[in-house]
Amino acid sequence: MRKKTFAAAALLAAATLTLSACGSGDDAKSPVTVVSGDTSNKAATILDTPFEKPDLVLTDTHGAKYDLRAATKGRPTLIYFGYTHCPDVCPLTMNNLAVAKKALSKADQAKLRVVFVTTDPARDTPAELGKWLKGIDPSFVGLTGDFATIQAGARTLGISIEPTHKDKKTGKVVSVHGTQVIAFSPKTDGGYVLYGENATVDDYTKDLPKLIKGENP
Amino acid sequence: MKRPTPTGRHLALTGIAITGALALAGCGGSGSSGSSGSSGSSGSSGAELTVGASYMPQPVSADMAAGFLTITNKGGTKDELTSVTSGSAGEITMHETNGGAMEEVTSFAVPAHGQLVFKSGGNHLMFEKLKRRPEQGDTITLKLKFAKSGPLTVEMPVKSATYNPSTGH
Repeated sequence: MRKKTFAAAALLAAATLTLSACGSGDDAKSPVTVVSGDTSNKAATILDTPFEKPDLVLTDTHGAKYDLRAATKGRPTLIYFGYTHCPDVCPLTMNNLAVAKKALSKADQAKLRVVFVTTDPARDTPAELGKWLKGIDPSFVGLTGDFATIQAGARTLGISIEPTHKDKKTGKVVSVHGTQVIAFSPKTDGGYVLYGENATVDDYTKDLPKLIKGENP
Repeated sequence: MKRPTPTGRHLALTGIAITGALALAGCGGSGSSGSSGSSGSSGSSGAELTVGASYMPQPVSADMAAGFLTITNKGGTKDELTSVTSGSAGEITMHETNGGAMEEVTSFAVPAHGQLVFKSGGNHLMFEKLKRRPEQGDTITLKLKFAKSGPLTVEMPVKSATYNPSTGH
């Protein structure tokens, strides 16, 4: 009888795995570079060769100069490239991080830096960025500046973005966001963990305490 | 564990039943969940359309919001979603997402015996110029128009900003 129950549990576990496999198909398009092992159904991808933190000097939501490397040195830091006229993935990603952050102790919350770099600097002025981030988490850093600088910074992290342009068919303005959140270690300042856009609040809630310490999630 | 064997067998069977349900929920699509959004059907032209799994994540502001839903066509004729309107928003456009770029489209096919799925990271409805910022618990009334079938009205619930339809929270 015990055996039967276990058999059922095993079947259940197998099905749950199948389930995750179905859901994570979209991940394949992420331009991931070197990946250690196969993390299969985990949200986090740990990089064998961490990314160097991009040397970005941009403008924050208060209009002040913000040197990314200097300002986040020795801090657990999450970076995402997006834009505020983005209805779906950008606010979802930032809200996921905001909700997960609230589960941390106050001390850990104070350590964490979440940096949103706009891919649409023409529309995302410091004021616009500030207004938008205030609706998500006022402690998040929003950066804007020269598009070419932002694009070059994103490229060093394997994130490819295009300038905001007019759609040929509709004449509407189209912007592009990154598809990954990159976590930088407080110990090495290297970008060592990637999250795709399917990462959930639960994934971040589970992993943030590790990321705060620079440990592998 | 001192339970008699029949209970044990029952347990095992329950386990298998749950597996089946999970597999279904994972791969079968979200169309049939019906818990959110109203559905109507209009079968005059051969397409039989119903709408399910609709929701709007609470947006950051009244400037911009996204909406998701699944249109299921049980009929043998394909149809096309041609417009979405609402008294709550100045403009609603339909988009597909390729990589990180979204592209506006003027219509979406609803295949025969198939589904048109709007979901986070993929196709989405984009709401602009909302009358006010929708908040969790609100309902947005939408009218969907099709090339062949009659229009459908959808009551789209506003969920939390981080709502995940696969976990339901």
